[in-house]
Amino acid sequence: MKKFSAIILNLVLLALPALLWASEGLEVPEELGKKVDLANLGSINYFFAHWYNDNLWVYATIVTVLMGLLGFTIALVTDVILKMIGMETHKMEHHE
Amino acid sequence: MFDIYLPIAGMQFNALILVAIGFSVGVLGGFFGVGGAWVVTPALNAFGFPMAYAIGTDLAHIFGKSIVATAKHRKMGNVDMKLGLISIVGSVIGVEIGARNVMYLTKLGIAGPVVRYIYMFMLFGLGIYMLYDYMTKDKRAAAQAAKVAAAARAGLAPPAKKSWNLPPMIHFPASGITISLWTVSGVFLFTGYLSGLLGVGGGFIRMPALIYLIGCPTAIAVGTDLFSVLFSGAYGCFTYGIKARVEIIAAILMLVGAAIGAQVGVTAVKYIRGYGIRLLFAIMVILAGISVSLKQFQLNTASQWMVMCAALGMCAVIMIKLYQGFKKEQAEKAGYAVKEVKP
Repeated sequence: MKKFSAIILNLVLLALPALLWASEGLEVPEELGKKVDLANLGSINYFFAHWYNDNLWVYATIVTVLMGLLGFTIALVTDVILKMIGMETHKMEHHE
Repeated sequence: MFDIYLPIAGMQFNALILVAIGFSVGVLGGFFGVGGAWVVTPALNAFGFPMAYAIGTDLAHIFGKSIVATAKHRKMGNVDMKLGLISIVGSVIGVEIGARNVMYLTKLGIAGPVVRYIYMFMLFGLGIYMLYDYMTKDKRAAAQAAKVAAAARAGLAPPAKKSWNLPPMIHFPASGITISLWTVSGVFLFTGYLSGLLGVGGGFIRMPALIYLIGCPTAIAVGTDLFSVLFSGAYGCFTYGIKARVEIIAAILMLVGAAIGAQVGVTAVKYIRGYGIRLLFAIMVILAGISVSLKQFQLNTASQWMVMCAALGMCAVIMIKLYQGFKKEQAEKAGYAVKEVKP
């Protein structure tokens, strides 16, 4: 657990300069600073479009966290499915 | 039939195409250890996605996909975490230098052609070198064996490999190599610089660099490179997010396809030997080089179709190899089971 926490802390620290660097070019080009029309949007589309219009920082954070969580969840689920069909993977020998 | 409305990009798009593009690039990414931006961006653009959204959406799905593929590679013992973490530091500095260089070239008004020519030189050079390496591997192995045998006959120690041993030296147990910190930092600075200059994730440069310049086994180079792609993907997803260029619904659909594809690609690494991966990678890189050349000569549509057909073709080859390997493994297991039953 301690090792895992250390890895997470390191990853966060390593990500910080990148996030700060990402914020540098925050000025949104005019042609891309458009607003999405929220009328007739379904609940999921409305949620994303609302934050997109309202605050791009929150939108970017939602996108990044969501993609990370989705990736992590899919990795877990597909692993279980592959195990069930007999395609599980273990540590492999490295030969060229 | 499968058309959905994408609110951020403000357009109708076929969901099945998004899942299919995600799947094919997932197979390639899991197998070669690359993000696959050089396939996805032109593919999305060819199907009518505006270029700005194509890049941002692509990077967002790459982040999710690399988590899936890295998790599986880690389980197979293919990720050198220590090497991967060091790569991030060198790469970030290199990318910044490369990006500033592009800004300078843009000021001079020659960024487009210069970047494309470097791209072509890199892709063709790398592809041809890897093909040469594959074709001469037996000859080199025989020559090395003869050297060792001659040294043994003369009662001498086998000749040591030439290397630059400037301290501090770092040991990477997962890769089984000990190498100078300066060599590792220099390699990642260089690959980061190229990725900043060319505007790509850097996977297709870093993976061969890990093999040829650092000395990693091929499967570990693939896994460790994906680990690095994870960070560049996260950074790209965030930075394009705040610049309003990520179509989240499309990215999610692509991620679903890519996650399944990545599982297929990573599992295929188990059945194809290191040099086999290098051969397929070399072919893919050369085809990508041809695509960039077509673009340089204003044949944009041909260039986009070239890269998509190459990706789909390579995808099919990897899946066939995976199927053959899986069947062989099952047959071997069944054979052992019969032997064990017989007295």
